[in-house]
Amino acid sequence: MHLTRKQLLTYIAGMVVTPNREPDVFTAISHPARRRMLDLLAEADRSVNAMAGHFKMSRPAVSQHLRVLLDSGLVTEKRHGRERHYHFVPERLTPVREWIALYERFWDDRLQRLQKLLSKKSEK
Amino acid sequence: MTNTIRREILIPQPREQVWRAITDSATLAEWMFPNDFEPRVGHRFTFRVPGNPKANFDGLTVRCEVLECEPPSQLVFSWSAGGPVENTQVSFRLEPDGEGTRILFEHSGFDISHPFGKQAFKGAEYGWARMFKQLAAVVAGLAADRN
Repeated sequence: MHLTRKQLLTYIAGMVVTPNREPDVFTAISHPARRRMLDLLAEADRSVNAMAGHFKMSRPAVSQHLRVLLDSGLVTEKRHGRERHYHFVPERLTPVREWIALYERFWDDRLQRLQKLLSKKSEK
Repeated sequence: MTNTIRREILIPQPREQVWRAITDSATLAEWMFPNDFEPRVGHRFTFRVPGNPKANFDGLTVRCEVLECEPPSQLVFSWSAGGPVENTQVSFRLEPDGEGTRILFEHSGFDISHPFGKQAFKGAEYGWARMFKQLAAVVAGLAADRN
């Protein structure tokens, strides 16, 4: 991934503007129960009842966590007869992967500097 | 959900020279950031990442502790910068390769599913969003240095 400085800053600005109204992906994955839900949904689409069976918390609490996942776009819902089924959208995790990619760029840059420094020193 | 960054680099210089570059505080500052590193296990030190006013970035202090130090082959230190980057590990393994050195670099322990408390998420300036912003500013600063 290569971002120009302008793209990076635009991206940062975008991150700063959104979180309070719409839970961002980072917030959504910050809770262990929601990560567990994503794991379950990664296996298969499930209804809220099927999800609730995996948790000790109340149904409303499960629904509330699902709501956060829905708002972040990590999960979508589909009508399935009388039930709603929830579906995991892994593409929405892109910002998380891009964050790691930023750290990769950081180290690539530093290691490149190390290489340059060493070749300069051995010329002397 | 954790993630590890790995890099393998072949360098024509011998291990002893590479070792000095990664363990001598002044030389380390030349390719990393100003620091108070000392090559002994248990030593706590920091890297001071300078600010970047153009990116509205105040700078950042990375807290580290030397975990392993075996000249001239292995250096491991912890790397804590807040949020999900707390107690991550940076390691350099140096293997001889002919006349030169193979550097096996690893930065591990990113908890991309960091269990933030509610406190940490009261606003955009906390947790991941904040970490992202800081790192983006650092990277943007690095790119600007080169231009």
